[in-house]
Amino acid sequence: MSSREIYTDRRTAGLLLLPTILVSLVFLYYPAARAARRALYSSQLGLDDEFVGLENFAELLTSGGYQSRLLLTVGFAAVVVAGVMVVALLLTFLVHEVGTGKSIYLVAAIWPYALPPAVAALVFIFLVHPSLGVLSGPLATLGVDLDWFADGRQAFVVVTVAAIWKQIGYNVIFMIASMNNIPETLTETARLDGVGRLRRLLWVYVPIMTPTLFFLVILNTIYAFFGTFAFIDIMTGGGPSGATNILIFDLYQEAFDFFNWGLASAKSVVLFAIVGVLMYVQFRLTDKYSHYGA
Amino acid sequence: MTTVTLSDLRKEFDDVTAVESIDLEVRDSEFLVIVGPSGCGKSTTLRLIAGLERATDGEVRMDGRDVVDDEPKERNVAMVFQNYALYPHMTGRRNMTFGMKSAGDFTDGEIDDLVAEAAEMLDIADLLDRKPGAMSGGERQRVALGRAIVRDPDVFLMDEPLSNLDAKLRIQMRAELSKLHTELETTTIYVTHDQTEAMTLGDRVAVMNDGRVQQVDPPQRLYDYPANRFVAEFIGDPAMNMLPATVDGADGGAPVLDHRAFTLPLPDDASSALDDRSSAVLGVRPEDLYLVEASDGAYPGSIDATVDVIEPLGDSLLLECTVGEDVIRANANPRADVDHGDALELRYDPERLHVFDADTGRALYHSATTDEAPVMHAGD
Repeated sequence: MSSREIYTDRRTAGLLLLPTILVSLVFLYYPAARAARRALYSSQLGLDDEFVGLENFAELLTSGGYQSRLLLTVGFAAVVVAGVMVVALLLTFLVHEVGTGKSIYLVAAIWPYALPPAVAALVFIFLVHPSLGVLSGPLATLGVDLDWFADGRQAFVVVTVAAIWKQIGYNVIFMIASMNNIPETLTETARLDGVGRLRRLLWVYVPIMTPTLFFLVILNTIYAFFGTFAFIDIMTGGGPSGATNILIFDLYQEAFDFFNWGLASAKSVVLFAIVGVLMYVQFRLTDKYSHYGA
Repeated sequence: MTTVTLSDLRKEFDDVTAVESIDLEVRDSEFLVIVGPSGCGKSTTLRLIAGLERATDGEVRMDGRDVVDDEPKERNVAMVFQNYALYPHMTGRRNMTFGMKSAGDFTDGEIDDLVAEAAEMLDIADLLDRKPGAMSGGERQRVALGRAIVRDPDVFLMDEPLSNLDAKLRIQMRAELSKLHTELETTTIYVTHDQTEAMTLGDRVAVMNDGRVQQVDPPQRLYDYPANRFVAEFIGDPAMNMLPATVDGADGGAPVLDHRAFTLPLPDDASSALDDRSSAVLGVRPEDLYLVEASDGAYPGSIDATVDVIEPLGDSLLLECTVGEDVIRANANPRADVDHGDALELRYDPERLHVFDADTGRALYHSATTDEAPVMHAGD
């Protein structure tokens, strides 16, 4: 018997698994199946459901608005994932290198992650509200005129920064664990050789951390596509003029503002497919390029 | 070529003193081994020389220049670690060149030449394109050595480099390290807990305990003339027997060591060394004790012992015996006819006796009379 088999009795094991299986079935797989089915119907508030085949998908593919929102989402996700990774890596490295007060810096870096997304969005509004924000005054003296309630480009930047800020802590937790696992003697060898800090980070630490970094890229991608809903909803409502209307918010609007459930379901299927393909590609890349220690 | 001088070197970690006031001179081109038990401060001493730790107090000089405030890279030392410390994602070649490129002191052509040279010296040409994951422990340590060599450092620092290798490979690598040092003549400081490694490799060996250097001497001298009980018991395997005894007749004539189970006359010249003390500890190595054969006849000053444990080692028989209330170990002829519980007589080599102070453990007297014998004074 392997040491992992804690329960000799399959019935006990099954019983303990049951709640998870039930919750998953009721709240995940069943709704997902219903959504996939509904994507094939015209289903709107006040009208009877009507089977339309792939018409909803055809409409999405030919809709210029949807295509531009798709592009916007991919851009948003790319910036968020890259931003989170770079900032978190640099912060982690600084925490790793600092001599005193390490845990204080670590807590400070992880802090935003402890906030629920909606609260984080509110905090960020307080920080950079165009007229009332804590940072708006100082930024104005630097010549930055915050006007993101009206300026689409600014709104995109603000939401992106907020989304990055929220996710850094989560990444730092994993990165610091991974960085602390790198044998001290490698750092010492680099020091004896006079390898500079940045070079040490990029050429010694990052390659060794690749398994963790790839894992984080995948989680951050999921976060950027799905987990950023609260920021859009609370901070910009997808605006101004659709400048921050990413797919997850767009499909929410379709379903619960416009009550066009058939089309919204089709959008959710498309979003699921996009993220699914991305996951697949990333997993393949992980296998190919990850270095697992010697 | 470089000398390394440590003066009054101290290192404290919070409330623990790892290294306490070390004075040590490593001569130009010398292979100096620092040996001692775990936690004696030997690795810390090495790291202080490398610059990986900052000294609490004292000086580290290289060729007279105080380097205590220098960064590791400014000291031009290369270090070889027990766990090899190879970058797992780089090939053997890249592992060797990565640091050189960072230092920027070498052109690409020079780097290629140096790598080829080191690869030939260490016979690792076929490992250059492999990653550490695809190398055995011995191969990794060779590449790590190669990495140290190509840097052309002033001093090699080695921190238990052979401890992760299996016994056979360790002996082979030991010989190669020796050859390598003869070839390169680079000043080398080598840390180990293994006294065999220390004795075989070192031009001189520094024995450390509790953060202090106990003795620095060539291997044979360390074995023949240990400065104190710690060195005497640490160097040599099995360890030297220590038997507490009282001193009789130290005034005027030749002193006699009086153990509960035997008396042992010492030569005349021992009297001044023993001064007028009444007790001391007799030290005698297991390999300097012999079984008295029947044909030897009566032998003066032999030791009566009872055999407790017999350990056949192949080339000898290690006997653990009771002498009075003490335990004594003796190396006997491998095919000697000895049984558990036998009472037997042990003869000792009168030229190989050591006497230590009962309280401080300091060596008072060695009965060896070679030219190299250090002059011992009671007040040393």
